[in-house]
Amino acid sequence: MKITFPHLGNVCFAAKALFNELGIECVVPPPNNKEALEIGTLYSPEEICLPFKIMIGNYIKSIEEGADTIIITGSCGPCRFGEYCELQMNILKKLNKKVDFIVMDVPSDIGIKEMFSRIGKISHSSSKSKKEKIKALYKALKIINMIDDIEADAHYIAGYEKNTGEAKRFLNKCKRDAINSKSADEMINILTEYKRKINSVEIDKQKKPLKIAIIGEIYTIIEPFSNFYIEDKLMDYGVSTKRTLSPSWWVKNTALSPLRINSLDIKKASKEYLPLCIGGHARECIGEAVIAKNEGFDGAIQIFPMGCMPEIVSKAILPTVSKDLNMPIMSLIVDEMTGEAGYLTRIEAFIDLLERRRKSVLFRS
Amino acid sequence: MKIGILASLLYYKYQSFINNFFYELGCEIISSGETNKRILDDGVKYCVDEACLPIKVFHGHVYSLRKKSDMIFIPRIMRLHKNEFICPKFCGLPEMIKNSIPDLPPMIQDTLYADSKDGLKNWAFSIGEKITNDKIKIENAFSISLKKQIESKKGIKDKNYKINVALAGHPYNIYDDFLNMNVVKKLNRLNVGVMTEEKLNEEYINRQVLKLYKKPFWTFARYTYGFTSYLAENKLVDGIVYISSFACGIDSVVIELIKDRIGSFPFLILKIDEHTGEAGFDTRIEAFADMLERRKAIEDNISASW
Ligand code: SF4
Ligand code: SF4
Repeated sequence: MKITFPHLGNVCFAAKALFNELGIECVVPPPNNKEALEIGTLYSPEEICLPFKIMIGNYIKSIEEGADTIIITGSCGPCRFGEYCELQMNILKKLNKKVDFIVMDVPSDIGIKEMFSRIGKISHSSSKSKKEKIKALYKALKIINMIDDIEADAHYIAGYEKNTGEAKRFLNKCKRDAINSKSADEMINILTEYKRKINSVEIDKQKKPLKIAIIGEIYTIIEPFSNFYIEDKLMDYGVSTKRTLSPSWWVKNTALSPLRINSLDIKKASKEYLPLCIGGHARECIGEAVIAKNEGFDGAIQIFPMGCMPEIVSKAILPTVSKDLNMPIMSLIVDEMTGEAGYLTRIEAFIDLLERRRKSVLFRS
Repeated sequence: MKIGILASLLYYKYQSFINNFFYELGCEIISSGETNKRILDDGVKYCVDEACLPIKVFHGHVYSLRKKSDMIFIPRIMRLHKNEFICPKFCGLPEMIKNSIPDLPPMIQDTLYADSKDGLKNWAFSIGEKITNDKIKIENAFSISLKKQIESKKGIKDKNYKINVALAGHPYNIYDDFLNMNVVKKLNRLNVGVMTEEKLNEEYINRQVLKLYKKPFWTFARYTYGFTSYLAENKLVDGIVYISSFACGIDSVVIELIKDRIGSFPFLILKIDEHTGEAGFDTRIEAFADMLERRKAIEDNISASW
C-alpha cells in the first residue's frame, strides 16, 4: 500500500510523519499549484466547488508517483464535502486509475464497526506493534499542533517585528526543513527549534499594526494556494493576522463535538446572528468576526469558493455584523477564473480603508 | 391577523398544509402570489449576488409582502426525513432574509425537524401559540391540515403522449412556471408528455439509491437520483429533462451521479438564472424533443422489421 492524501494546509507534515512512523509508504502530493488546479479543473464537473478540483489535481499527481490508496476525511452533510468521495471515485475510475479510497467518516454516520474496519485497512498494512502505532498517532497530533502554532505566531508577530520579513522567512524555512526531515522525532526537533526562533524575533511593542481576522470556508482559508497566499501578503504589508480555523482546530473540534463542548466561544459569539449549524463553517465564520472585534481587530476578510452554499448565507449576514460592530468586513470569492491582479487590488484597497479609518479616529480624538 | 405566506420554495410541496393550518387558526392569508418579473427583479436586487435563483426569487416574494401582513411565515426547515438534510441555504433562510430586506414585519421562523410526527407537531404548536391560546384549535388545525396535505394530489403524469420524459429537479424549479419559463407547457406543445417524481413509488426510489457507495444525505438528491435512474434503467420514459439553477451546490453533485449511472440515456439539463434568455432555452428543448422523436422512429422501425 502506498498512501496519499489531498493537501489541506499543514496536514501534510503530520501525515508524512504518521505514515513514516507506521512504516507505510506515503506520497505527499506536490504543493498545490497551477498545475494541480488545471488538472483538477479539466476532470471535475464545472460547477463543483474549488476544493474538489484542487484535490483531484493532488490525486492525479500522487498516482503518477505510485500512490494506490487515497485517504480523505468525510462528513455527512449538509454540505457538498460529504459527497466528494463518491464523485471523486467515479472520476478516477473513468480515468482508469486503480486506487482505493479510504473515507474517514464520523462513526455516528457509518457506525463504529465500519469505522474500525476502515481504520483497520491502514493499520493492517503497518507491521508495528499497537503501542508503536499509538505513539505514532500521538506524535502526528503533536506535530500538527506545533506547526499550526508556529504559523499562527508568525502571522501575528509579522505586525510587530523590527526587521521586516523576519517572521515570514523563519516560517518558510521551518516548513521546508520540516517536510524534508527523515523521522517524526527529527521533525519535532526542527519544529521546537523554529518555535523558539520565531518567538525570539525582535519586536517593537510600541507598534500598533493593523489586525485582520481571516474567516470563511475552511479549505480556502487554510490552503494558501487557493487564496493567492493572502496571509503571506498581509505579512509583507506588516499586518497581523489571525485565523482560528486550522487542521489542529478541526481535530479538536471534531473530537469534542459529540460531547457538544466544541468551540463554545464561537457558538456564543455567533448566537445573535446565526444560532445553529447550517453546514460547512458558516457559524464559525460569523462567530469569529464577532470575536475579532472583541479582541480589538481592525477588520476581517471572508474568503470562500464560488458557489459555496454555507458561506453564501454568512455573506448575507456579515454586512449586518459589520454595521453592528463598526468593523469593516470584506468578502473575497475565489475560483479557477479569479484573476490575481484584481484580487490583490481589493486587498490593498481594504488595507487602505482600515488605515484611513484609524487615522480619522486619531484625528477626531 | 394577517399572515404573509410566500408562494415560493417548499410552498410548492406543502401548500395544502400551510394554507389549511393558518386558515383553521383563523388567520387571514395574504399570499405573495405567483412569481412575476417584479418579484424576480426585487429578489435579485435584495439578495446576495452569489445565491441561486430560487433563493433570490424567494427574497422577491418576501419583499412584495413586507408591507401587507402582520407576520410573515419563513420557517427554518432543517430536515424533512430522518438522517437527511435539505440545503444549507434553507437552514439559514430566516437569517438571509432578515439581513437583506429592510423594514420587515415580525417573522414566524420556528425551526422545523420534520423527520418525526412529534417534531412536526411541536413545531406546529409553537407556531399556533403565537396566534391563539386555544390548544384545541391548534390541535384541530394541525390534524386537518396534515390530513389535507397527505390527501393532496401532487405531481404530473401526462397520458396519451407518444414521447414521454421524466421531469426532474427541485419542486420549486418544476412548479414555478415563471422561473422555468413554462417548461411543462412547452414540452406538451412539442408533443412530449411529462412525469414527475411524486408519481413514482418511494420504494423504487429508495432501492435505486442503495447502489451508491454512500447514501445521499440530501433529500432532494435521493429523490431526483432514484427517480431518474429508475425510469431510465427500466426505459419507462424516453428521456430526462432536469431543471436546475446555476450555483446549486446540490445539483452540481446529483447531475454527475445521474450521468454516471445512466450512461448514454438522453439527458437534457436546463440551467436557469436571472439572465437565462427564453429563446435559447426554447431552442434547446426543441432540439431535445426532435432528437427523442428521431430515436423513437428508429426504434419503431427496428421493431417493425422484426
Ligand atoms: S463548505 Fe463550501 S466549499 Fe466546502 S464543500 Fe461545502 S460548498 Fe463546497
Ligand atoms: S437546493 Fe440548490 S437551488 Fe435549492 S436553495 Fe439550495 S442551492 Fe438553491
